[in-house]
Amino acid sequence: MAVDGLTRNMLVYVDGSEECIAAAQAAIIMAKKHSANLFALYVVNVSLLEELLKARILVKLEEMDYRQDLERDGRRYLHYVAELARKKGVEMHTELVKGVVNREVVKYIQEKGIDLLFMGEFETIRSAKDTHYDEAAWIFRKAECSILIVKQTDKIERIYNNLE
Amino acid sequence: MMISKFLDESLITVSVEQKEKPVIIGELLDLAFRSGKISDRDAALKALLDREKLMSTGLENGIAVPHAKTAAVKDIVMAFGISPGGIDFHSADGKPSQLFFLLLAPENAAGPNVQVLAQIARLTNLESFRKELIGARSPAAALEIIRKAEY
Repeated sequence: MAVDGLTRNMLVYVDGSEECIAAAQAAIIMAKKHSANLFALYVVNVSLLEELLKARILVKLEEMDYRQDLERDGRRYLHYVAELARKKGVEMHTELVKGVVNREVVKYIQEKGIDLLFMGEFETIRSAKDTHYDEAAWIFRKAECSILIVKQTDKIERIYNNLE
Repeated sequence: MMISKFLDESLITVSVEQKEKPVIIGELLDLAFRSGKISDRDAALKALLDREKLMSTGLENGIAVPHAKTAAVKDIVMAFGISPGGIDFHSADGKPSQLFFLLLAPENAAGPNVQVLAQIARLTNLESFRKELIGARSPAAALEIIRKAEY
């Protein structure tokens, strides 16, 4: 049974990493147990491409090419996690948007009334400078809902596999 | 995404000696090829030179970032070169290029590829980093400067 304000609407932030797959599995487990509405979001990092275009590292043709690549990758990741949910009888609503990653995730949380955000474990070794550009870290700081950072990926996978 | 994780001393030269753009790219490519990370040197070179035809990857402030996507690599591959005296690389500001970041990425790694390019842009935006790196006298010293800047 879903708990309003805590487990009614759940969101998985999908970034294509192995860690986000574990986050999706954990979200599917929880969504099934709590009969929650489950969402998955991928953001095409358009701002980064624009940064590279401005720095003249990319030319316009390349920027468009990368944009298509990132969009295609994002759809593939979303399809993959939606399939993980479907296999366990859970409906997952997926969405791909474009923009500044952390802003789009925060906006989506507000728009959908997300209670709980699932994210993959952050990289273990990080520099202070690198963290500044880490979208996951920004989401962690700016999101208004509760956040569940999924660790122990092997254990989560086992629980997911045993979920009936 | 830290670039130092894609570099080791064998992938760095502090004395780029060639003077022609395609040969400089070839010299850096050879560093990466010797590491065994490139399956087809000719295909990788063609991808890099095709990219140069769109617009020179010689940027401002002595930086050049020759890069391309190619099926000749399975993961991101980098090589790095320094020319203390500078070389004409048809740069955006017309000044000689001194720091060369060569980057090859597989076709299906747009996300990490973009992250690495962004990291190069951010690092080389710092004048102190550029100056220190140009002064590196060995691959080990250059690698240490990059690592220090990233941590």
